[in-house]
Amino acid sequence: MVVTAKASDGKEIGKVEKHYHPQATNCRDTKMKYGAQWKIANLRDTSFQPYKAKDETIEFELPQGVKAADVTVDLFYEAANPDNKYPIHSVTKKVSLDK
Amino acid sequence: MKGFRIVLVLLMIIALPLAASAQKAKTIDELAKMYDSSSCKSCHSEIYAAWEKSHHARPLMGVKGGLMLTPLALKKGEPGSTAFSEESPKKMTIKNFPCFKCHLPQAVISAEDSVAVELAEALIAKDSAKVAKLQITCVVCHNTKAIIHKRELGEPEKGVLYGKKDVASHGDKTYSKVKTSAIMKDSVFCGQCHGLGPNLEFDQPFQCANLYGSYLHAYIPAGGSRTCQECHMAKGDHLIAPNFNDDKQTSELYAKAIDFDVQAYAYEWLRKAATYVPKVVVNVKMKSNAGHRIPDG
Repeated sequence: MVVTAKASDGKEIGKVEKHYHPQATNCRDTKMKYGAQWKIANLRDTSFQPYKAKDETIEFELPQGVKAADVTVDLFYEAANPDNKYPIHSVTKKVSLDK
Repeated sequence: MKGFRIVLVLLMIIALPLAASAQKAKTIDELAKMYDSSSCKSCHSEIYAAWEKSHHARPLMGVKGGLMLTPLALKKGEPGSTAFSEESPKKMTIKNFPCFKCHLPQAVISAEDSVAVELAEALIAKDSAKVAKLQITCVVCHNTKAIIHKRELGEPEKGVLYGKKDVASHGDKTYSKVKTSAIMKDSVFCGQCHGLGPNLEFDQPFQCANLYGSYLHAYIPAGGSRTCQECHMAKGDHLIAPNFNDDKQTSELYAKAIDFDVQAYAYEWLRKAATYVPKVVVNVKMKSNAGHRIPDG
């Protein structure tokens, strides 16, 4: 998931990435391995679990003089390599300090 | 006479393994022919067409035309090679491809090591057309993998297909009968390959799919009761989505599986007296309705 905040002029204010997937090593070193032939056992698992909610709160500080932003949250699936993306959800919200 | 009997017995002992060996495929073409399911197409055209687009029809091709077993075929020590690689493709055996356990189960029981050599050479030569001949065909699921209670029910019978119901007379020259599989409607059938976690039975373990493990240990305890087939093979769909070669369909499937809600607002946080920090807060709530972890395989 990538959360991006942009000022009204399009300038990026902030960007946060979150990765959801099981992470395995070969149990011989501490490096994460990719590919079944290298992996032996999961060390960490941040993936989506059945019926379990995953709640995230992301915060950005607005630079001086910026009173509004467009926030976009993109959730996508990557298969085989990070360049092979399948968009899942994309939501953009406008936020402002003006009441 | 006694001497003749001894010779006869010895000949039989020698001949039996030879006979068994003769039944095994020596080439990729022979193995493909042995498990060929093209005759299914004439009567089950819709199912066959869906299967042709599925990952089961290209189990050694990976995503979007990749040749996922190539690292195993590389020369030992070469960058990208694996613990299963050898000095030369000529030295490859069926045991050097433990991935066959699921990606080509028929090779484990029906192929000579020469098939492994031919595959290794094809992988190095990037001969996709040859590699593509090796498929998880109708016969693999509806015969080879159709029985798991082998001590009670025996091995799958030759010339018999297994399905959800008995068919006394099945109009196929090779498979003239269909018998009921005890497990074909159950998740455990898929779980044979879409696995439990590390494959520790090999001399060099590796970990591929954890999906059935996740189903058993996360989905079922959370109160889930649907089978793999209910979600992935609704109305007998043999595409068994996702099909990662179809971007749109894959995106839609995941969007359906994961609920997604985004709330965002801006405000000025009071850090200390008279010191305001303007902030944007984004709250994202996601929930998976799938019967297993996402991602998994």
